[in-house]
Amino acid sequence: MENQDNMEKKEPGEKKQNKAAGKKRRKGSGNLFLHVAQHTAIVVAAILITSVFLGSYVMIETKKGTQLYQLNEEEKGVTFEGSKLFSKLLGNNAYDIIGYGAIRSQLETDGRYDAGKRIDVTAYANRYNNMESEYITADYYLEDLIKWSRSGFEYEDVYMTGEDADRFLSRFNTITKVNLNSSSYDGGTVTYLNSDLSSMKQTQDVSANEFQTGEYVREDTNATVLRNRYHSADGKNIEKYVATWDDYYTLCENLKKAADDLATVYEEYLNYEEIYKNENSNVIYFIRKTVGDDVQVFTNMELKGNGNELETLKEELLLKCGGYFYYDPSNMVYETNTLIEESTLRYILNGYEYAYPENTQVMIGVDKSYAALDSFQQAKNEFGKFVPYYWQYIAGAISCIALYLFLLILLTMREGNAGKKETGEIIFRLKKEDRIYTEVMLLFAALTCFGFWNMIAWFVNHFRTNTDSVSLTVFAGTIVLAGSLLFSFFYYSFVRRVKARTLYHDSLVRRVGLFLIKWGKFVYQHSDIVLRVWVPFGVFVIASFVLTYAALLNWKLQIAAICALIFLWATVGILLFRSAKARQLILQGIRKISEGDLSHKVNEKGMYGDDLVMARAVNSIGDSVRTAVETSMKDERLKADLITNVSHDIKTPLTSIINYIDLIKRENVQDQKIQEYIAVLDAKSQRLKQLTDDLVEASKISSGNIVLQWERINLVELLNQTIGEFSEKFEEKSLHPVMRAPKSSVYINADSRRIWRVIENLFNNIFKYALPGTRVYIDMELVENPDNQEKWVILSLKNISANPLKVNPDELTERFIRGDESRTTEGSGLGLSIAKNLTELQNGYFEIVMDGDLFKVNLSFPLLKE
Amino acid sequence: MTNILVCDDDKEIVDAIEIYLNQEGYQVFKAYDGEQAIRVLGEQNIHLLIIDIMMPKLDGIHATLKIREYSSIPIIFLSAKSEDTDKILGLNIGADDYVTKPFNPLELVARVKSNLRRYTQLGNLNVENNALFSAGGLCINDETKEVTVDGESVKLTPIEYNILLLLVKNQGKVFSIDQIYENIWNEEAIGADNTVAVHIRHIREKIEINPKEPRYLKVVWGVGYKIEKQ
Repeated sequence: MENQDNMEKKEPGEKKQNKAAGKKRRKGSGNLFLHVAQHTAIVVAAILITSVFLGSYVMIETKKGTQLYQLNEEEKGVTFEGSKLFSKLLGNNAYDIIGYGAIRSQLETDGRYDAGKRIDVTAYANRYNNMESEYITADYYLEDLIKWSRSGFEYEDVYMTGEDADRFLSRFNTITKVNLNSSSYDGGTVTYLNSDLSSMKQTQDVSANEFQTGEYVREDTNATVLRNRYHSADGKNIEKYVATWDDYYTLCENLKKAADDLATVYEEYLNYEEIYKNENSNVIYFIRKTVGDDVQVFTNMELKGNGNELETLKEELLLKCGGYFYYDPSNMVYETNTLIEESTLRYILNGYEYAYPENTQVMIGVDKSYAALDSFQQAKNEFGKFVPYYWQYIAGAISCIALYLFLLILLTMREGNAGKKETGEIIFRLKKEDRIYTEVMLLFAALTCFGFWNMIAWFVNHFRTNTDSVSLTVFAGTIVLAGSLLFSFFYYSFVRRVKARTLYHDSLVRRVGLFLIKWGKFVYQHSDIVLRVWVPFGVFVIASFVLTYAALLNWKLQIAAICALIFLWATVGILLFRSAKARQLILQGIRKISEGDLSHKVNEKGMYGDDLVMARAVNSIGDSVRTAVETSMKDERLKADLITNVSHDIKTPLTSIINYIDLIKRENVQDQKIQEYIAVLDAKSQRLKQLTDDLVEASKISSGNIVLQWERINLVELLNQTIGEFSEKFEEKSLHPVMRAPKSSVYINADSRRIWRVIENLFNNIFKYALPGTRVYIDMELVENPDNQEKWVILSLKNISANPLKVNPDELTERFIRGDESRTTEGSGLGLSIAKNLTELQNGYFEIVMDGDLFKVNLSFPLLKE
Repeated sequence: MTNILVCDDDKEIVDAIEIYLNQEGYQVFKAYDGEQAIRVLGEQNIHLLIIDIMMPKLDGIHATLKIREYSSIPIIFLSAKSEDTDKILGLNIGADDYVTKPFNPLELVARVKSNLRRYTQLGNLNVENNALFSAGGLCINDETKEVTVDGESVKLTPIEYNILLLLVKNQGKVFSIDQIYENIWNEEAIGADNTVAVHIRHIREKIEINPKEPRYLKVVWGVGYKIEKQ
């Protein structure tokens, strides 16, 4: 319940906060209510179960100690005397009383303890067995036997010569004869009972070897001789009853057994006598047994006659007693108002067959006043306290337990939730005790559990003898309440931890682990590279050695050491693998970036230490290179856009210039000079036009701002078409194209219009700069790249330059460079640059070779597979 | 009298074009932005429109889109934008022709003439005749062996005529030099040279206004020649 108190105390502090806090409090008090309900439910269940239990059992103190009797629900409404409990108790008492009767018959004469009673020791020792009709015995006084047993039997080892023995033992066996098959008694009697009747016994001396004279010869022997503490009732030593050693030892044994048994029986006799005194017991008993003329009566009733007035006694018994039975086996009469069956009594009587002849009457009842404080009185009181709503109690207990479980689930779901954020995320609230380290909390829980268990055990020991149902119920309720509170305290703390995900977070293991990692990292990072390699390696080697040694040294340590070794090696292996993997990733990243995949990133996840530093460095290099390239590409594009825009702006005024020059030309100006001027204007304006067009194109090509449309191009066809286009121009300058092709069709992959632009520019170049009247050679050659078996076509255009070639061939393909430095001839100076760039865009190579006046351009393209 | 509206924000260019068109006997109306052009079109009976693309207030593209909502007169774009994409856009939104600045005045005049012929004379030409082949403004009458471009008769040599007929009959199909040679000369082409290419250039010079930017006989460089399907 402390939890809720804490919560309640916390809440007022948050009153200042907005509505959400109020909501929280409401929820908190809701939880408090549920918690209280939960504890109440389990306590109620405990009380109900205790009540049902207490109501179902009766604890009775009997002669044999405290005994538990289960009350039966079906007996509701039955009188105490009609209940099983009563029968059980009465049955037990009957058993005791019959046993008591047997004892009394052994020790008493005429209903009194008779210390001078003569005991036939052999018959008594064998009272449970069948006996011969003739046996050797001696009669002792009862008191002598009991005393002898208490002080102990002493023996002596003696060496006897034949003469000594002859002197020691009797010459005759004293044989006792009992009339076993006496037909004078109904139902027959057993040996012991017969032996008890002096009229049935005869004694006579019989010579041991049938010789009456003294020529009896005995052998020398070692004998164990009983010391005669007491004489027999006839005043003789025991050895005087027997003539042989065997008979002597048997008789001694019987004597001892009889004495010991009687001593025990005497104790019980005193005990029973106390229990069944009238003021101590509600039980009324009457036992009468008849052997021949001898009638013995054991009772605690007041007898008016000699015990033969059975009917009167029975009436008296019935009058006095609530529950009773009357058993007369010889007349086959059994009467009772209890649940005790005849067979039970027969069984009991058979157990004391030696004491009870068939002609026995047993009459036992319980005084209905229950005045004496005994088990019956106790049982009657308990019986009355029978639980009235047995099933309702059980149902209630089950519902309470169900409610408890339901609340447990509900609270498990609700516990720790302290409202929602606006995003819908649930906020979890922890209490003070939830901040304790998980392991410490677990330890507390375990200790509490252990202590609680011991406490319960102690209480149970103390309360066991207490039969007060109220205190027992209170005790059970308290114990369960305490248990429930403790369980809730720990259980909900763990529930909140799990929900707030602090179970591991707040654990000692994690704290210690983090500390070690931090410390290890600090040491690692502040140490020399040499140490970083050698220290862990040294530790590893030493640990391996120590563990191996431990494994070899002690078989007890073996398994642990081997496990530790495997763990160590596995850890090192995993670390090495991780490092290698990280290095591989970094290498891969470097390779990719160097190959131009600038957007490639090394995955830094799972990398530590130097590897992480390296991976980050590689990534940042890649980033900066990419940024640089992007910037430069952007610059190039901006430049191209600028040129395009500028040339658009130039074109508009240029249009007017061209148009008005043309209009002037149409005016038929006669002046020679003006005509010349106009011709210059015309030519220059046309060149300006060409220049702007070329400029735009060149900048677009070099910035990669064009889209190619790939096609299968026949290079031979293309050259034939071009020669056709240029035929008149070439004729104008008397240039003779000579084409030599290995086949009628040579296919390459190119953009039709761009490849034409390349060839056109080159032909224009030839037209402009070739020496008139010479031949222009157009050669095609198929070659194979030795490296990768790729087939290429090399197209070379050769012509003789009109002017001496002074420039470097590389410079020619730079923008605005022309063969004639005066720059007077037509052309923008961009033709070769455009041709080169376009060739390269179409995966070709462009090469200019100059040899004296020979100007040669080599174009090579990969050949398309047929 | 044919009325032509010239629209450009550059006054000098409009004036120069007026001079050329006047010389050819056309009456010229002038406008300096798209809105003005639309207004003039509403007021006058205009037969052809020459319009710049980049203009203030309303540009040529949007003006053309509006005009096309109610008029089908020939429209020629006159623009400094010389990219292929510009030309394709212009022709697709409803222009009949596209001339880039700086232009050859004679070419412009020729295009004006050609477009006017198409619009006024050949608009509804539809003669049922098996011997008659046409591709756009290009017509070939195989019976009379007569070739006309936008109604203008063109003189071709027999070989040129046969080549053109072959291409017109198979419009859209590309013929290589060898194929043309084999079809016309009925001989196997052994190491076909540039003869066919020269003939083709001659044909282009005769039927095209600007042979370098042919409308009918197109060169597919490195592949062959074809008449565009129209």
